[in-house]
Amino acid sequence: MSLLAFNDVHALYGRARILNGVTFDVDAGERVALVGRNGVGKTTVVNTLCGVTRIGQGHVEIRGRTIKDLRGYTAAQNGIAIVMQGRGILPNLTVEENLLLGTATGRKGPWSLEKVQDLFPILRERRANPGLALSGGQQQMLAIGRALMANPDLLILDEPSEGLAPVVVDELAALLVRLGEDGIGILLIEQNISLIHRVAQRFYVLSKGAVAESGSLQNVTRDELERHIAI
Amino acid sequence: MLIQILNGIVYGGLLYLLAVGLVLIFGLREVVNFAHGALFMIGAYIGFSIAAMGYWWSGLLVSVFAMALVGCALDAAVFSTLRKHDHIVTVLVTFGILLILETVVTKVWGKAYLTYPVPPLLAGTVSIGGSPFPIYRLFVIAVSVAVAVSLSLWLRYTRTGLYIRAASTDARVTSMQGINVDRLSLIVVGLGTALAGLSGVVAGPLLSLSPTMGNYILIDSFIVVVIGGLGSFAGAFIAALLIGQIHNFGAVYLPWAATVLPFMLMVGILIWRPTGFAGSRT
Ligand SMILES: Nc1ncnc2c1ncn2[C@@H]1O[C@H](COP(=O)(O)OP(=O)(O)O)[C@@H](O)[C@H]1O
Ligand SMILES: [Mg+2]
Repeated sequence: MSLLAFNDVHALYGRARILNGVTFDVDAGERVALVGRNGVGKTTVVNTLCGVTRIGQGHVEIRGRTIKDLRGYTAAQNGIAIVMQGRGILPNLTVEENLLLGTATGRKGPWSLEKVQDLFPILRERRANPGLALSGGQQQMLAIGRALMANPDLLILDEPSEGLAPVVVDELAALLVRLGEDGIGILLIEQNISLIHRVAQRFYVLSKGAVAESGSLQNVTRDELERHIAI
Repeated sequence: MLIQILNGIVYGGLLYLLAVGLVLIFGLREVVNFAHGALFMIGAYIGFSIAAMGYWWSGLLVSVFAMALVGCALDAAVFSTLRKHDHIVTVLVTFGILLILETVVTKVWGKAYLTYPVPPLLAGTVSIGGSPFPIYRLFVIAVSVAVAVSLSLWLRYTRTGLYIRAASTDARVTSMQGINVDRLSLIVVGLGTALAGLSGVVAGPLLSLSPTMGNYILIDSFIVVVIGGLGSFAGAFIAALLIGQIHNFGAVYLPWAATVLPFMLMVGILIWRPTGFAGSRT
């Protein structure tokens, strides 16, 4: 049974239909990439999961159960943590308060404030600073740290490499692989071919609001992947 | 002089109780609640009706409790249902509620000014620097300070307080952490209107009751919210004290300008700092 599945989802912002039949799924402990160029509807997939869009056709399943009334909190309450595009740090809360927000669902698991601060020592060092005061890379750590605080079964990251220096992207790749090996499912929404290639086992290419291509990354080279995305 | 300052603090305290409710409601619902002054007024009338029977303190409790329920109903029926619409729709609806409430009060209690009694326990004066000062006014100061202190401790040190601060900044991100922001809003709007009721009852013996008693003070409260920086609780506190002083000194030394002074201060501060004292939102 998959943790998260979209089945032929058509989604609209008001009257504007952005998703035209998106189908994909992520199993427990699996690392899946959702790739595509700017504006194809990647973030709209996340927004649909959070009930921001209206679903005109198709349905979203979490752990095999169709969820009719998706709300902003539905994913989190079902063990799905989301690192939003742009990170979603609350600028006037402290670093530690931002992290504590991640525990709102009260799910138990290996991650705690202590563990997250061990993983990202800078978040301990700067715990009393406002979220606003962090650099882009530190904010990304904070966003990932906050997501881990929720002890999720599935972690969705929307373009996490955006604005990060290449060495930081390398660290991110290693971290995501490790989290996947620890049993957390990863849905990586990205355009960064190198990050996708290092992290994901399977991929879906989104184009004009629908899945145009999918498969295993085992036997796809970077160049082939790049060509898939370019269509 | 000292008496003048104290009177300014009294008025500032009332403004704070109203302004903080506006800040709470604006924070979670992004609604500028024009009905807030009418809720203040209804709170005063409810308290008055019970106080007139000789139960001053019960009047206070019943009024606060009733206004909390009204706030929850308002959030569930109006703010929550209209949240997908343009903000101007909700603002107009709150304006409509204001008119309805004024009409209801006029029908039930009439237009005439009514005098709210002072509770026997707080009757009389104390001597401050040689001048008599009503004990009741000290009580009003104490109530506002108690609310300000407990509210800030609650917001700073509790889980719910953390969620409210988070949702006031970004409701979307907050709900994505698994927090039901609609449920949170119910609490927050209920609290905001309860404080309007509290303010109405406490102000009752200082102002005379009339169906329009909330209008003037609401404008001053809006000025407090704007000066303090939309969404800032500490900013609202400081701004309320400031406007309280200006209101009182204006009334004594510049009576012809008293009503425009708060506006002038607001404009001045907005030119100096467009987001207000402590505001992060524009
Ligand atoms: N709130 C919105 N209302 C209307 N259209 C939107 C909204 N958000 C995004 N869009 C449109 O939806 C399309 C897909 O956007 P998005 O999902 O953000 O793309 P991606 O994340 O793949 O770059 C774009 O054409 C964008 O203009
Ligand atoms: Mg996007």
